[in-house]
Amino acid sequence: MRPAARQLVTAAGAPPGASELSHVETTPASRPLLDDPRWYERAVFYELLPRGFYDANGDGVGDVPGIIEKLGYLEWLGVDCIWLLPFYPSPLKDGGYDVADFCGVAPDCGTVDDVVRLVEEAHRRGIRVIADLVLNHTSDQHPWFKESRSSRDNPKADWYVWSDTDQRWSDVRIIFLDVERSNWTYDPVRQQYYWHRFYHHQPDLNYENPEVREAMLSVVRFWLDRGLDGFRLDAVPYLYQHDGALGENLPETHAFLRRLRQEVDRDYPNRVLLAEANQWPVDVVDYFGDGDECHMCFHFPLMPRMFMALRREQRFPVTEILAQTPDIPDGTQWGIFLRNHDELTLEMVTDEERDYMYAEYARDPRMRRNLGIARRLAPLVDNDRRVAELLHALLLSLPGSPVLYYGDELLMGDNIYLGDRDGVRTPMQWTPDRNGGFSRADFAQLVLPPLMDPVYGYQAVNVEAEMRDPSSFLHWLQRMLAVRRQHPIFATGGLEVLPADNPSVLAYIRSGMGDGEGPERSVLCVSNLSRFAQSADMSLARWQGAVPVELIGRAEFPSVGEDPYHVMLGPYGFYWLDLEDWGQP
Amino acid sequence: MTLDVDALRPLARTYLERQPWYQATISVADATAGPDAPSAAGTTGPSTEAGAARATAVEVESAEVLRAQRPGLARFVLARGELRFQLLVGWRPAASAAEALRGGESALLGPCSDGDGPVLAYDALADDDLVLALLAHVTGGAERAERVRRMPTLVSHSSVVFDERLFMKCYRVLERGARSEVDVVLRLDEVGFNALPAPVAHWRAGGYDLALVREFLPGALEGRLLAMTSLRDLLAHAPAAAPPAPEAPDEAASVTLGDPDAEVAAAGGDLASEMRRLGATTASLHLALVQGFGEQPADASTFARALRREGIDPAEALEKAGPLDRGAAGSAIRLHGDYHLRRVMRSEAGWLVVGFGDDPLYGSTDAGTSLRGTLGSPLEDLADMTFSLRMAAREALGQRGSAETAAASLLADAWWRRNAGALVEGYLTTDGAVRLVPADPATRETLLAAFESARELRYEATPAEA
Repeated sequence: MRPAARQLVTAAGAPPGASELSHVETTPASRPLLDDPRWYERAVFYELLPRGFYDANGDGVGDVPGIIEKLGYLEWLGVDCIWLLPFYPSPLKDGGYDVADFCGVAPDCGTVDDVVRLVEEAHRRGIRVIADLVLNHTSDQHPWFKESRSSRDNPKADWYVWSDTDQRWSDVRIIFLDVERSNWTYDPVRQQYYWHRFYHHQPDLNYENPEVREAMLSVVRFWLDRGLDGFRLDAVPYLYQHDGALGENLPETHAFLRRLRQEVDRDYPNRVLLAEANQWPVDVVDYFGDGDECHMCFHFPLMPRMFMALRREQRFPVTEILAQTPDIPDGTQWGIFLRNHDELTLEMVTDEERDYMYAEYARDPRMRRNLGIARRLAPLVDNDRRVAELLHALLLSLPGSPVLYYGDELLMGDNIYLGDRDGVRTPMQWTPDRNGGFSRADFAQLVLPPLMDPVYGYQAVNVEAEMRDPSSFLHWLQRMLAVRRQHPIFATGGLEVLPADNPSVLAYIRSGMGDGEGPERSVLCVSNLSRFAQSADMSLARWQGAVPVELIGRAEFPSVGEDPYHVMLGPYGFYWLDLEDWGQP
Repeated sequence: MTLDVDALRPLARTYLERQPWYQATISVADATAGPDAPSAAGTTGPSTEAGAARATAVEVESAEVLRAQRPGLARFVLARGELRFQLLVGWRPAASAAEALRGGESALLGPCSDGDGPVLAYDALADDDLVLALLAHVTGGAERAERVRRMPTLVSHSSVVFDERLFMKCYRVLERGARSEVDVVLRLDEVGFNALPAPVAHWRAGGYDLALVREFLPGALEGRLLAMTSLRDLLAHAPAAAPPAPEAPDEAASVTLGDPDAEVAAAGGDLASEMRRLGATTASLHLALVQGFGEQPADASTFARALRREGIDPAEALEKAGPLDRGAAGSAIRLHGDYHLRRVMRSEAGWLVVGFGDDPLYGSTDAGTSLRGTLGSPLEDLADMTFSLRMAAREALGQRGSAETAAASLLADAWWRRNAGALVEGYLTTDGAVRLVPADPATRETLLAAFESARELRYEATPAEA
């Protein structure tokens, strides 16, 4: 329950406008954190870019104090956990993933104390905070690397992976194909090659060295001691490499993750480790271990397939990948998402599917990055609100904890003319005022230009306007998050895909004990992937006699009989139907 | 307890004669036998009037009690001339029969006795308990289920789905010896072809194949539905009516509709990748059929025979096709023989092939004459499928009714070209498949087109069946 937010809406007699918005921001904390070691299984995550969210000090760069100012908004929206993109000191050649000091905060983002204050303030509002942690590599500006490259016999000489030849491990694939030609780069100072799976300015740490492992565990402890609720572990499959292997998913990597998990479990209750392992589900499940590695892993292949299913107006791209998704250990959860700070990655599709996705979603080559499509949700779906709603309905009802990307709740656009992946990292649009309310700095000072085009620009798309409009997408999503929260079955229930007789209709049942108590419940989720109205029959024999109740409006539907259940859906329509027998006392 | 089989004989006969599937079967059989013959049996049977009467009378050939305790279950083989029918009979006391049949009075045979007292006999397939008992019997106790769902009955068999997991086909019209469908399914399974619902159990008794249990894939959908989904998406781009642009008609047309082939390729609902996959599955099917049933080198006569069978003079096509010597004409293999979009299912695991023989007397219920069991060029199956794609395109156009325009028609044609092309490409690029068909691409195209025209002619002769 969120009494403060509800009070706000009713007190104003209408959804909050600009003046109320500031009131939201100062509303006293209302929702203490629950002592729940499995909170992440039901949480809604919100990924945000500190530099792009809100600029509190007016220097043109978003900062941690800015996030604190906007916590009221995130609480109102119904977010359970914020995931902070990197805020560490960095030369910023890779969006901050090139870390120059793991235990600091970049001066333009704030201070370590600001992060501590953010965590405390968020906790008072019942919101947890996790941060990106890059285990695999550092920036070449990190003091560790500067020392390591200075000679072959310094104390950190063996902290990175050095070699006299660039021919070693030549079978290992190159990830950033657009810019890198080799995983080795020659260092003229040390006169050796160093290993890097990502950009050449991001040397890989040498996890064979116990000192490196201890140093990274110290980094973890540093932030957990300051209250962070966990980490999104960047690029975990690549920690180790050895001869005869392809440099991904090695047993030593899993051993280190188990060690990390043990440390966390021993000293830091209620924390989460969320792995980024862009692999097929059958390989990703290894990162859950036996429930003794990561608590969560992202489900990468599901995302492009949701888009593909909609464009093809048939469900098989989604049902195929669900069928290929193995069960995961108790106490673990998938992280699922529609869009994030990276490109819409197409590594986990076939070549033919990739061609199809490029043709459908990235007609302009500028939209393509590496093996993916650098676009935000709204432009990807041609700004069709019905499609955006359907995609979110899928996101909120498929197994896994949904991860929202900042700005997508407004249906913000992107700027494909910005370099690398900056196109999807433009400033959050708060108001129709100067710089979209993101910053009071001069336009020229801004970290990235806000969108100003007539469709997606901040004059048209911003928090203030959408808060004021009760039928905005923002309000719709806020209500949907509230509905999802009331039904833990979406978070922890089992999944069974139902065989609807219409290929454009995707139907599945989420069922289980809900929150671990009470009778078994089942919710039928049925979606029309077509832009035309559709009908479908599906067998609900097991629920015969149930009176389905639509979860959002609580309207009763015809009861389930012996014959296949018949559903009619408008274009891109969906229902969440509770199969509880409401007709019976 | 023993069932009074003798008392049941007349009831079984009467019941059988009442069944629409029985009537349909004998009418086809009698028609096939020709005007001089009194019945299907008449071609080999006696020609006297008494003989004719015997040939048209229904006799109980054999009966076997499968389950003596109530509710009881027995199987009957009934004979009419050369035709054989299976009837599964159940019995219960009257009160519980009414409950078990839930008002399905048409399933009743009539009253009889099981030694313990009077019972009502009925078609056992109408009784859930007995259908479940039959599953246990057919699978030797290996499979048990809780829920029964009946599929619409076809002429040759009844189908039941158990727990949305298993599928049992109970043959009504029996064939002596190995039944083609059972034979093909079991052999394809043996040689490791897995693009079909896997056989689970097979019931054979008294020299007849009586039932086949296979896995049921509830999420699988007919290929036709995918094709129609793709067409719906595409044709929605077509203008509903021709634009009124008398002064510059060409320009107007180019504005409303670009290159139809490009439009089809760019459509979101593009089916080509699915058709390529289906082509590959078709190739795997043919390679498995070769493994299971062997092959012979094809030559001109293979194609001539096939075209003649369709009522086409093969001379023109063969001349255009060029030399079809052994070694260059591919193989003659066992065909699927009734290969169209209703015979392939898209499942979560890819395409599945079904329909290896539903109705021996009819070919199939909805697709005209069957080529099942014949040896022929794999191009025949491919032509069946490309023709089926063409029919889907026509059907989608037809659904637009008055909105059908020249533009829509161009799009539908382009859709067919692209998807038929993708199907054939998927076939030819599958390892080992290209040797099954004529080596020369132009020859292949000519023959494929000839077979397609043959399907077209067949369709025009019996449009209701396509």
